[in-house]
Amino acid sequence: MFTEIINKKFPAKDIKAPESLIIKNIFIPGKTPNEDLAADILIEKGIIRSAEGIVDTCGIEFDYPLYPGINSEKKHVLGISSNGKAAILNAGGLTCSASFTDMHVHLREPGDEEEECINSGINAALKGGITAMCCMPNTKPVIDNDCLVSFIKMKAAKSDFNIYPAAAITKGLNGLEITDFGVLKNAGAAAFSDDGKCVQDSKLMYEIMRYAKYHEALLILHEEDYSFSAEGAMHEGYYSTKLGIGGISPLSEEIIIARDIMLAEKTGAKVHITHISSKKSVEMIKSAREAGINITCDVTPHHIFFNDSALKNYNTNLKVNPPVRGPEDQEALIAGLKSGVIDAIASDHAPHLDSEKNTTFIKAANGSTGLETLFKASYTKLCIEENLNFLHFLKLISTNPSRIIGHKAGQISSGSNADIAILDTKKQEIFDVRNTYSKSSNSAFDGIKLYGKIICTIKNGKIVFLDF
Amino acid sequence: MLSVKNIIDTENLTVADVNLIMENTATFSEVLSRDFKKVPALRGKTVLNMFFESSTRTKNSFEIAAKRLGADTVNFSASGSSLNKGESIIDTVKTLQSMIVDLAIIRHSDSGAINYISSKINIPVINAGDGKHQHPTQALLDLFTIGESFAEFKNLKVAIVGDILNSRVARSNICLFKKMGMDVTLVSAPMLMPVNMDCFNVKIASCIDDVIEETDVLYMLRMQFERQEKKYYPSIREYNSFFSLDKKRFMKMKEKSIIMHPGPVNRGIEISEEVMENEDEFIERIKINRQVTNGLAVRMALIYLLLASDQLEKEYVH
Amino acid sequence: MADNFVLLNDKDIERIIKRISHEIIERNRGSENLVFIGIHKRGVPLAERIAANIAEMENKVIKTGKLDISFYRDDTIKRLKPAVAITDIPFNIDNTNVILVDDVLFTGRTIRSALNALMDFGRPGSIQLVVLIDRGHRELPVRADYVGKNIPTALNESIEVRLYETDKKDMVTINVKR
Repeated sequence: MFTEIINKKFPAKDIKAPESLIIKNIFIPGKTPNEDLAADILIEKGIIRSAEGIVDTCGIEFDYPLYPGINSEKKHVLGISSNGKAAILNAGGLTCSASFTDMHVHLREPGDEEEECINSGINAALKGGITAMCCMPNTKPVIDNDCLVSFIKMKAAKSDFNIYPAAAITKGLNGLEITDFGVLKNAGAAAFSDDGKCVQDSKLMYEIMRYAKYHEALLILHEEDYSFSAEGAMHEGYYSTKLGIGGISPLSEEIIIARDIMLAEKTGAKVHITHISSKKSVEMIKSAREAGINITCDVTPHHIFFNDSALKNYNTNLKVNPPVRGPEDQEALIAGLKSGVIDAIASDHAPHLDSEKNTTFIKAANGSTGLETLFKASYTKLCIEENLNFLHFLKLISTNPSRIIGHKAGQISSGSNADIAILDTKKQEIFDVRNTYSKSSNSAFDGIKLYGKIICTIKNGKIVFLDF
Repeated sequence: MLSVKNIIDTENLTVADVNLIMENTATFSEVLSRDFKKVPALRGKTVLNMFFESSTRTKNSFEIAAKRLGADTVNFSASGSSLNKGESIIDTVKTLQSMIVDLAIIRHSDSGAINYISSKINIPVINAGDGKHQHPTQALLDLFTIGESFAEFKNLKVAIVGDILNSRVARSNICLFKKMGMDVTLVSAPMLMPVNMDCFNVKIASCIDDVIEETDVLYMLRMQFERQEKKYYPSIREYNSFFSLDKKRFMKMKEKSIIMHPGPVNRGIEISEEVMENEDEFIERIKINRQVTNGLAVRMALIYLLLASDQLEKEYVH
Repeated sequence: MADNFVLLNDKDIERIIKRISHEIIERNRGSENLVFIGIHKRGVPLAERIAANIAEMENKVIKTGKLDISFYRDDTIKRLKPAVAITDIPFNIDNTNVILVDDVLFTGRTIRSALNALMDFGRPGSIQLVVLIDRGHRELPVRADYVGKNIPTALNESIEVRLYETDKKDMVTINVKR
């Protein structure tokens, strides 16, 4: 990617990726006291060697025409030394973070490559500052055997990207028979999930948790009681009444969360509840954790950014499952992120063909794309509108999700892997889905003004995405 | 002229729109009373009747309305069409629009389908009923029918009885009746009502007996026991004891009150056999057939007004 | 700028209506089987005035009706407007002698529309046309049987008829646009 970027900008020169990268004038949250006292980062062979003071670049000459960009009235420059051994990026006071981890995405490969494939998903992720993700097993066929887990791992390795596949909990997501947890784990399954579906049989769920505990496997649970959701397509409330769309009560999620908290308490299984949507869910998880139960959870950017009033014109791109809920729920989710009850933000990136979204609300498929907006949307809501501390916010999209799925998160300190996202936190842009790197364009955030822009994504010391 | 380009719901109609529609309905009501019931006003125009959901009454009503205005009609119904071959709704609509029609009348079983379709095509659209969302022409014909019996709408006491949850008629009527200043009470049971009723801003009663003596307009919704996906309401017997109109309840009503129903009536469920058999005797009070006749006039008025709406004309000067 | 000239005042109009009333009775040899239908909007009061005159002269009840022709215009689609005038012909016109009344005869298209509309109501024995003003410029082969006043006009002139029932005074003016 780096050489592609450079060769595109300087077509005359054939440049190989340099071994060293120096980032000048960068603000490291939590380290540099303020943006005016920016530091430099020196990366060698994919490892951060220095991230404290000023890196002395004496002795390296940059005789290539530099690649300038203008951003926030500051000048950013990328250049390469004459011997081709080092690249230098003048960040001009931009902010950096360890790159992000998205623990809930749908990559659609194998089976629905027209919607997304592993490569296009990776490109969209890099554009969103993400360098690690956990992909869900509801592909065609379902990832319920070791061959498919290996296939995903192999594809990701080719692209030098960290993909942590979640394997199915039940065979073919049928909610009836447990998959080969042991074999799948050995093949590289980082977690187990029936996402999109939910095991309705409580006794079976009990056995699943006992078995997950036995294999020390992580369960990522989509919580839904079908008897509540079968006739619905949006949150049961003011707007479902008005629009005449069947409502899905928050009880659909809450009843199953209550059940799974009890089962987790009994079995000791490591349970992560994904895309929680209601106030009561936050409360239940809070008290479960206070009681010492091993349970974590995440929320999506769209559940904190929107509430059901955004559906008043039957916006199919915001038809998601669980549905975006009422304003009280939205507030409770934001409060949960602030207080730390909710561990992580995950995109639930769910690409769909236009034909699945360009239809009536009831017939439209569930899900929104989200890799490229994971940072922007949640940053806009939490840090700009809700004044959440930026360091705390970075934990929600980097440190915490990495910890939960067992990914060694990047850090901006000497000796760490150089997985870095460089951000312009002041930049405000209308998100235009026509520019997406994903194969699908069903984004709930299309046309919405969002703060924060990913200027550069660095993976293992290499620039893999750059947008001055 | 109307402030809207399409008739999709009753919410977006202004009071002035409603009054204009009522005035024009009166005009067409007169046309319908002639021996020769047809006028050539829309000669050369083509009206497309698209019914993605089966319907006989509403479809016929729209078709007759268009024909009495001198327009040609094209009928499309979902059964037997290429929709069964996997064609998407929007492709179907666009194909038909390409046949150069001037106005589309659409019914669909999905709530919001008409909002969706009208955003994709550039001819006026009339919603002939979409899922559980809206049925604006029903609401307007009901309003016209009420207007025939009462001097003014303001403060009329209306009770709407039955399955509010699954009723598009209820949604469009409540909104329109409230807009015209009526005092609306819903009479229903928990499993027949949405959980959140805030958007209606109406009074709620749990039994028809609570309102029967003071109601001016008793509006009975159709109760479809056979069509409920999941049957939560216990039984007809239970329904009869709380919500049905029988002779005894009918006799308790005000002398000038009227009974309405969107039809077809399930005899013995919403309204008892005994009351229905006296329909002719109480013709001034049981308005069910009058509603059907007024349906024609309202639909003629709407088709006419929509095609006229952007062609403002001054008073003709010789 | 427009200049207005008064062509007929209230007395003139009254005299014309009386004269036409007499002409109608004369030509039809009485008022047997006559019905009067005014074209909306100013034909309606004219028809009612003539009918009232004849009723007085003949000492009998004369039937009158009103006709809105907006659905029958040949330029309906270009000139669509909300129809609020109500046609009211509360009798059977089959085999009657219809006296059709309008205020101004111009291109003849209004009368063509009115004839079409009338035919939809039944089969009159005959139709005769009364107009207060005939200003010429016919586009169709239509003529009036009874004319209040022939006024040759230019196309940049317009005739404005005001009647007490619709406009609070009786007056006909010619307006010249410059």
